[in-house]
Amino acid sequence: MLERHPNALGAIVAIGLNTFREAIRDRVLYLMLVFALIIIGISRLLSLLTVGDEEKIIKDVGLSAISLFGVMTAVFVGVSLVFKEIERRTVYTLLAQPVLRSHFLFGKFIGLFAVLLLNVVLMSAALFALLLFRGEPPWPLLPALLLIAVELAVVTAFALLFSSLTNPVLASVWTFAVYVAGHLSWSLLTLREKVPEGVARWICDGLYWVLPNLKRLDLKAQVVHGLGMPEGYVGLAAVYGLGYGAVIVALACWAFSRKEFN
Amino acid sequence: MASEGPPALAIEGLHKAFVGHLGIGRRPAVEGVDLRVRPGEIFGLLGPNGSGKTTTIKLILGLLTPDAGEIRIFGLPSASREARARLGYLPENPYFYDYLTAREFLDFYARLQGIAKTDRGDLVRRTLERVGLAGRGDAALRSFSKGMTQRLGLAQAIQHEPDLVILDEPMSGLDPLGRREVRDLILGLRQAGKTVFFSSHILQDAEMICDRIAILKAGRMLSVGGLHELVSQRVRWFEVTVRGALPAGVEAHHPAGREDEHLVRVADIEALRDLLDRAREGGAQVVSIWPRRDTLEDLFMQRIGASETPDTTHA
Amino acid sequence: MRDKAIVMVLVLVCVVATTWSGIRLEQTGVEQQRGKSLLLLPNGKHLKAASLGQAPLLADLMYLWAIQYYSEYEREDRFRYVKHIFGDVIAELDPNYVDAYWMGALILIVEANDLEAGLELLDQGIAANPENWILPYLAGWECYHADRFDCAEAYFAQAEALPEVPVYVKRTRIGMAAAKGDLRRAYAMWLDVLQDPRADSGTIDIAERQLRHLKVKIDVQEIQGWVAKFQFENERWPGALTELIQSGYTDALPFDPFGRPYDYDPGSGVVAAPRDRILPEGS
Repeated sequence: MLERHPNALGAIVAIGLNTFREAIRDRVLYLMLVFALIIIGISRLLSLLTVGDEEKIIKDVGLSAISLFGVMTAVFVGVSLVFKEIERRTVYTLLAQPVLRSHFLFGKFIGLFAVLLLNVVLMSAALFALLLFRGEPPWPLLPALLLIAVELAVVTAFALLFSSLTNPVLASVWTFAVYVAGHLSWSLLTLREKVPEGVARWICDGLYWVLPNLKRLDLKAQVVHGLGMPEGYVGLAAVYGLGYGAVIVALACWAFSRKEFN
Repeated sequence: MASEGPPALAIEGLHKAFVGHLGIGRRPAVEGVDLRVRPGEIFGLLGPNGSGKTTTIKLILGLLTPDAGEIRIFGLPSASREARARLGYLPENPYFYDYLTAREFLDFYARLQGIAKTDRGDLVRRTLERVGLAGRGDAALRSFSKGMTQRLGLAQAIQHEPDLVILDEPMSGLDPLGRREVRDLILGLRQAGKTVFFSSHILQDAEMICDRIAILKAGRMLSVGGLHELVSQRVRWFEVTVRGALPAGVEAHHPAGREDEHLVRVADIEALRDLLDRAREGGAQVVSIWPRRDTLEDLFMQRIGASETPDTTHA
Repeated sequence: MRDKAIVMVLVLVCVVATTWSGIRLEQTGVEQQRGKSLLLLPNGKHLKAASLGQAPLLADLMYLWAIQYYSEYEREDRFRYVKHIFGDVIAELDPNYVDAYWMGALILIVEANDLEAGLELLDQGIAANPENWILPYLAGWECYHADRFDCAEAYFAQAEALPEVPVYVKRTRIGMAAAKGDLRRAYAMWLDVLQDPRADSGTIDIAERQLRHLKVKIDVQEIQGWVAKFQFENERWPGALTELIQSGYTDALPFDPFGRPYDYDPGSGVVAAPRDRILPEGS
């Protein structure tokens, strides 16, 4: 008799590793990475156009590239991973295993996030190298990079949620929509004042609190200008982002466990 | 051969309909399927394409949820992890991760089954041998042919020695050699006391190995039962190939391959004996005698509703 | 079952943690630092390049943001970057965004009391939009309000010279000459603008503001007149404006366009309007 002890943690780790390996081979990932590195390189040229603080341009462009390409990778690779598996029915044999569907999805999230983290590390390394080469200490950028990673976790969670619910095109669109909405939260506050009192205001308030306020995870401006932050801000923002991401991942797990495969 | 205990697979009152886009249109896929698979037997789910075989299997696996009905595996609810731990599954036209090697692939599935690291290497090696992929452990799945992919699919389905193996069109797209190997594998599983449930639209394969069958048409179950109960053993007629001049009064049913050979059909043993005598007397040679029994195909055609049972010669 | 319960509890904890941190961030967070973020507004040209062809949209978004930003009257150092935001960033992104020029100019002129800076901004807008008559017309009026009749005349001439300019603009220069100091005449002229069926919403906005501004001036003049009369007849300043009603100098006191009563200092007898705002309350 074969000894078998299927356990949740083992399954999640196995799936995570597998997803990591699969994502690493996704061409889109390399495309994004190469683009980002090129842009970081170009920032050096751009800095020649400005008068005064050249490093500001490099830092600005670098951080924006890391953030933007990170988000695009999260969306495209995340959505396509789930899609490919379902399309090619690889997922059928996996779901026949004694593993809960939610563990399966969580493993996918872990694997995907690991790849994105690796991406961020690589791009940051390139940026740091460039800055160090120019004699500029890059360490102040770390808090912003940390929160960029947290932002990516949130976006990835949404990508997985939407790809469990609908086809890849719509899933990508929805995820981007949430990303944009997350960065325009402040406009909801403006809108709130313009609409008449009552239900409309409640809707604005509701949306403001429910949608992820990604601006809170955006420290790019602060670190580039060396502006102070309230104490413990980074920790607080990380709690916000990770907590939010965790809830979305839970939602995605739930959505995936109710999915019909026909 | 079939042993005691709760049925390996018990389906009761299964219903599933697919709803079209925006909730418009309702297409029933499975309507009222009831069947029981005894432990240790080989059960064939047969039917034309689109009859609901794959849907039924997906319902068993929990890839779809039924609108109504209950499915139990060894008495356990089919959706539970305990039930899934006792089964192995091969989907139709499987496709696996391109970038893994065969060994990595099986190792991954072994991990999901919770097999300890120390046992995995050995198990993977043995499994590869069982399915005839012994030398291909390190080949990338990307390079596998259809037949090899099918064998690998079987490998992951049986690797953890499940008590119930569910195969969706396991023989599809395989050459005769491949089909024979799969048949042998299935027979080997029964030998080891496992239960096999497979779907197919290739009747000859089913006829060769099944203990019991069910026939589906348009989501409804038309027949279910032992193969030999449903397909009678009685001889319908004899086909005799005669070489040389035909005895007087005997008509050739139709010409056979060679110019001097004729095919004669006789209704029963008596008529056969008569023909043999007369052929011998007339100096003709009886080359072959074939008893035409009911085949599964006959039953199939009858139930599925083809107009006439066509004449078939022994394949 | 137990696993499910654990997961539900964890999710609940996450929801609570997220909400709590969200509230804390709302209060103490980087949002408070928005003022400082103005330092980070890049050069308009850079921003335009970065917008990848979506410059007008970006201009709109910037304008929206600016409105919200400048609505906070309590913010210290409000006026430091007005010219940069409206004149450099938004103007560079969309030079034809007329609203931005006059909004920025009015903030500078009316709230910061910086006529020169405001006029500079309007000049920039005029240069970028040579066919637009409302900008020089407005510039002219602002000069007029500041009693700079020479530069007012120059601007009105500029406006008048444009093709397809409404008829009442042509009348302005002449009328203004006659109306130096006649607020009611000015009021009537702006009413013409407001009632012109071809006026667009930007023009209407300007007209309404001008009308409000003129009404305030007219009201203050009127009340000041009654106060002076009171003083002349009673040899003292009235204790409060309501005394003017009690003593029969007027039946009622006017309110400013926002419904607020006019300020009055009994010590000096000076009537003034409450602080003028360009952006409505709670914008």
